Amino acid sequence: MTTTIERVEKQKISDQRAAAIRLKNNRLGMNIFQVSWIMAFVALIVVNWQLRFNYSQWPPVGVPPFDLLLPSVATLALLISSVSVVGALKALRRGFGAAFLVKWRSAVGLGVLFLAIIVYEFLNVSDAAMATQYGNTFRLMTGFHFAHALAILAIMCRVYQRASQGKYSSDEHDSWAVEGAAKLWYFVSFAWMLFYVVLYWIR
Amino acid sequence: MATIAVPLGGGQARQEIEAVRRPALSEYLRWSVDHKIIGVQYGVTSLLFFIIGGALAMGIRLELWTPELDLMVSGAAYNSLFTMHGTIMIFLFIIPMWAAYGNFVVPLQLGAKDMAFPWLNAFAFWLIPPAGVVMLLGYFVSPAEAGWTSYPPLSTLFSGDGQTLWALGAHLLGLSSILGSINFIVTILNMRPPEMTIWRMPLLCWAVLATSIIAVMATPFLAGALTLLLLDRMTGTTFFDASGGGDVLLWQNIFWFYSHPAVYIMVLPGMGVLSEVLSIHSRKPVFGYRMVGLSSMAIAIVGFTVWAHHMFTSLQPELRIPFMITTMIIAVPTGIKMFSWLGTIWGGKIRFTSAMLFALGFMSMFVIGGITGVMLAALPFDIHVHDTYFVVSHFHFVLFGGSVFAIYAALYHWFPKITGRMMDETLGRIHFVFTYLGFLITFFPMHIVGMLGMPRRVAVYDPAFTDLNRLISFAAFVLGFSTFIVLYNIVRSYFHGAIAGANPWRALTLEWATTSPPPPTNFHEDPIPYEDPYGYGTKAASAYIEAIDMAFDRREAAPSGAE
Repeated sequence: MTTTIERVEKQKISDQRAAAIRLKNNRLGMNIFQVSWIMAFVALIVVNWQLRFNYSQWPPVGVPPFDLLLPSVATLALLISSVSVVGALKALRRGFGAAFLVKWRSAVGLGVLFLAIIVYEFLNVSDAAMATQYGNTFRLMTGFHFAHALAILAIMCRVYQRASQGKYSSDEHDSWAVEGAAKLWYFVSFAWMLFYVVLYWIR
Repeated sequence: MATIAVPLGGGQARQEIEAVRRPALSEYLRWSVDHKIIGVQYGVTSLLFFIIGGALAMGIRLELWTPELDLMVSGAAYNSLFTMHGTIMIFLFIIPMWAAYGNFVVPLQLGAKDMAFPWLNAFAFWLIPPAGVVMLLGYFVSPAEAGWTSYPPLSTLFSGDGQTLWALGAHLLGLSSILGSINFIVTILNMRPPEMTIWRMPLLCWAVLATSIIAVMATPFLAGALTLLLLDRMTGTTFFDASGGGDVLLWQNIFWFYSHPAVYIMVLPGMGVLSEVLSIHSRKPVFGYRMVGLSSMAIAIVGFTVWAHHMFTSLQPELRIPFMITTMIIAVPTGIKMFSWLGTIWGGKIRFTSAMLFALGFMSMFVIGGITGVMLAALPFDIHVHDTYFVVSHFHFVLFGGSVFAIYAALYHWFPKITGRMMDETLGRIHFVFTYLGFLITFFPMHIVGMLGMPRRVAVYDPAFTDLNRLISFAAFVLGFSTFIVLYNIVRSYFHGAIAGANPWRALTLEWATTSPPPPTNFHEDPIPYEDPYGYGTKAASAYIEAIDMAFDRREAAPSGAE
C-alpha cells in the first residue's frame, strides 16, 4: 500500500519530468523553426541573385547604389540589441531582477531604432532604382524582414510587460517565454545579417 | 534476456481498462488537441477532397472521350478543371492524408501519451479547411488556369482572381505543413520511451521523420514563391515579368525547389507504411532495417538537388547533365527500399489481406513509375516526351499507384485500431481488383499516347488518338467507381464491422499494445517496446504478442465466449 505522502512525492517527480520534457520539446521546436524559416529568407536571396543576371551590372546602369551609412548604423544597433538580449538572459539565470529588465529594455529600444531606420530606407528608394529590380528586390526583402522584426518586437514588448509585473522567475521552466522571444530575436538578427550582406555589400 | 515484457505491467492496470469507447462524433467536429481526434479529422477532410478531386478527374476523362470540346465550353474552362484536380489531389488530399496517419499512428508507435505540441498540431489542422474553401471558391470566381504548377506568365497575365485565391490557399496549406512537421520531428526525437533507441524505431516513424525534415526545409521556398506571385498579381511588381527586368524562370526554380522535394513528402510516408504492412502480413522481419531507415534520409537529402529536371527544356544547357545525374542517383535509395520489400516478403508466410494486396499493388506500380522516372531523367528521352501524356502517366504511377495505394493499404491496416472494427475483407478484395485493373488500364496506355505525341493539358486532340483515349476514359470510370466500394466499406465497417480487439494482425509495434480504439491517454501504463519492432518468427516475439492478447483481448472476448 502506498501512503498519501509517497503518492504526492511520486506525483511531484512525474510533474518535474513532464516539465523537463516540455522545455526540451520547446527548445528543439524553436531550433527547427529557426532552421526552417530561415529558408524563406534564403529563397528571397535566391530571387535577388537570379534577377541580377538580367542586368549587365549590379546596381543596374544609371542607378546609384544605396547609401551605406544609415543601414550600417541600423545593423550595428540590431547587433548590439542581440548582444543585450544575451546579457539579459544571463542576468535572468543569475536571478530575476533589475539587471534583466534594464538589458531587455535597451534591446527593445535598439530594435525600435533599427526598425525606424529600415522604414526610412524603405520609403526613400530612388525612382531610378524602383524602375529596376534593384529597388524592387530591395523593397521585397526589407519589407519581408520588417514584417518579421515588427511581430517579434511586439512579442519582446509583451515579455517586457509581463516581466515588469514579475510574472517570470530565474527558473528556466518558468521563463520559457523570455528564452523563446530571445531566440526569435536572434533569428531576426541573423536573417538581417544575410540580407545586409546581400543587399549592400555584394555588388 | 528480459525481453519478454508484458506491455501493460501488472494486474492492477488490467483492471483499469475500461470498456472500449469510441469518441462521440461531435468530438470530431470541434477543436481538440488529442492527436487521435486530429488524425481522424485530417483523414476525413482529405477523403472529402479526394472525392471532389476525383469527380474533377472524371470530368477530365469525360471531356477527353471525344477529340472535340463537348463537356467544357472552352479550352480555358478545361484548364481550370485540371488545375483544380491537381491542386486538390496534391495539396488537399495526399499531403494532409499522410498527416492523418502520422498523427494517429506515430505517437502510438512511440508509446507516447500525446504529441510534443498538441495545440500547434490542432492549429495546423484547422488551417486546412479554410484553405480548401478559399481554393474552391476561387474556382467559382474566375478560376485559376495555370495548372497546379502555376507557371508565370500563365498565372500572372492570363489567370483570373481565382489564381490569387489559389495562392492564398496554398500559402495557408504551406504554413499548416510546416507547423505540423515541426510537431512531428520533435515528437519523434523527444517522446520515445527510453528503451526505444532510434534504431529500434518503427519504419513509419523514420519515414515521417524524413518527410517532416523535407517539409520544414522546402516549404519556406513555396512561401517565398507564392509571396512573389501575390505581389506580382496584386501590387504590380514585375518579378516574373521580363519587361520589368523580371524572370519567368525565377518561379520555376523556386517553385520546384519546394515541389520536387514535395513529391517525396507525398511518397515517403507511403514507403514507411509499406515496410510496416509487408513485414506484419508476411510475418517476417524487415530486410535491411537500417538501410531502409537511412534510405529515407538519403532520399530526403538527394531530393533537394534534383529540382531542375522539371526544367530540362528551359534550363541553361550546361546545367542539364548535372541535374540528370542527381536525378538518376535518387533511384538508388529508392531501389534499396524496393529490394528491402522484396527481401521482406521473400519466403514469408504471406497473408493476402486487403492491406497486403494494396501493398503488393504499390510495389508493382511504383516500380513502373520509378522506371519511367529514370527514363524521364534521361535528357534525350525527356526532350522527346516533354509535356506529353507520358509525363502524366509517370506521375500518376508514382502518386496514385504509389501514394494512393499506400493510403489504401494503411487504411485497411489501421482502420481496426482507429475504430475498433475490422474492415470487410471481401469488399476490400473486390475494391483492390477494381482499383488495380482500373488504374493499370487507365494509366498504362497513357505511356503509348504520350510517346505517339499527344500533349498534356489539352481538351482538343488529334482524332487518331480517340480509341486509346476512350479505353483510358472507360477504365478511369471503373477506377472512379471503385472508390465508392471503399467508401461504402468504411461506413459499413464503422457500424457493423467485426470487433477488432487490440491486436488483430498480431503485430509487435506499440500501437497494437493498447485497446482499439486507444483510450484518451493512449496507454494505461508506460508501454515497454519489444526489442525489435519487426522481430517476427521468434519465440520471444510470440510471447510478446501473447502477452498483449492476455492483457486485452482474452478479457474482452470472454463474455462473447469466442475463445
